[in-house]
Amino acid sequence: MRALEHGYSACRVCHQLVRLPKEQGGRYLLCPRCGEEVHARKPNSIQYTWALVIASMLFYIPANVLPMMHVETFAGTQSDTIISGVLYFLETGSYLIAAVIFIASIIVPITKLLILIYLLVSVQRKDPMHKKSRQKLYDLTELIGKWSMVDVYVVALMIALVHFGGLTQIKAGAGANYFLLVVIITMIAAMQFDPRLIWDIKEKR
Amino acid sequence: MKRLEELERGEHLICCHECDELSYVSDPYRSGRYNCPNCGTLLFRHRKGLVEKMFALSVAALLLLLLTNYFPFLSFKVAGNTSEANFFTSAIYLFEDEQFLLAIAVLMTTIIVPLIRIVLSLALFGALYYGYLPSYAPFVLRALHHSLPWGMIDVLLVGVFVSMVKLVKMGTVIPGISLWSFTALVFVIAAMQVVYNPHPVWEHIDEARRKKGVI
Repeated sequence: MRALEHGYSACRVCHQLVRLPKEQGGRYLLCPRCGEEVHARKPNSIQYTWALVIASMLFYIPANVLPMMHVETFAGTQSDTIISGVLYFLETGSYLIAAVIFIASIIVPITKLLILIYLLVSVQRKDPMHKKSRQKLYDLTELIGKWSMVDVYVVALMIALVHFGGLTQIKAGAGANYFLLVVIITMIAAMQFDPRLIWDIKEKR
Repeated sequence: MKRLEELERGEHLICCHECDELSYVSDPYRSGRYNCPNCGTLLFRHRKGLVEKMFALSVAALLLLLLTNYFPFLSFKVAGNTSEANFFTSAIYLFEDEQFLLAIAVLMTTIIVPLIRIVLSLALFGALYYGYLPSYAPFVLRALHHSLPWGMIDVLLVGVFVSMVKLVKMGTVIPGISLWSFTALVFVIAAMQVVYNPHPVWEHIDEARRKKGVI
């Protein structure tokens, strides 16, 4: 029994069940309990998600190429990208930390983007297969989304702690800004995608 | 269809927010997890003592947050030079370097959003604990819903550990009281998210409105 087929929808915030009016195309209403907009489906969700996914894919390139931070000492300036940070930890033998950074800043964003692209393509192609696994994949993107922020926080904490007047300083590089944008935009992209679209596809008989 | 209309108040009929399946919950006040029968998503979790637990946890979280910000977070010593950092230090230095985007993002996700969430839940569940339903309750519940993904204090904890390992190689890192209270804070906030269940509060609001004759 699906809510849409009976003309109902649930409020996203308070989960109040509301009957969607037919005269507005049966699509949009303010929740009588909490005042949030209730849509049958998030409007233009596929277009918005695609736009945000493409934007974050573009930002992901400078995020990896440009340095995350500059270490300024009296001996000169040393710049670190995401990869060189991981390699530094591997060389010095901190394999666990290297793994944490590698997973958080490389595997998580790429996985998230690939999952979102797969979900978008499969919804657009009206693929009726593996609905439950696709739902699980979507839950995964929402769950892991914010963990890519680890690298941004590491840069911020290094800036705060390594700050000895003119002697030694750490400054944030342009890469950190782009990486931050990648994290935020992919989080918004995952929120824009409506998982109910997966279940709207009817099985072929 | 008749049954659908009878149940339109939506108290026992629940619609899965992920797959749009309508399912009937015979007793929403029995302790336990309620999963969608179609896709298995957790619809809500009910346990006894929601208000008491949330009130206690938000008081604890607020105290820990104040403690965390009062003392220096980490101290770092290299060749006789010491620098101390608290929660705001990195945001201040980022502002000085004109990295406004990073500064605002770090400030929002690690201080402002968690602080707002704690204060709001304290205001709501504190009032409920003393038997008073505040008029701002719907606003608080909405704010808690929308701010949930943007409080990233648990991610910061991992970031702290990573940067400590990085810094240990350069000099001496002295963890402060703050670090311990911050670690506790992360766990208290995680407990708050597990205990939190807005449904009984929404139903309480509905009931109060019905008595007043608003709906």
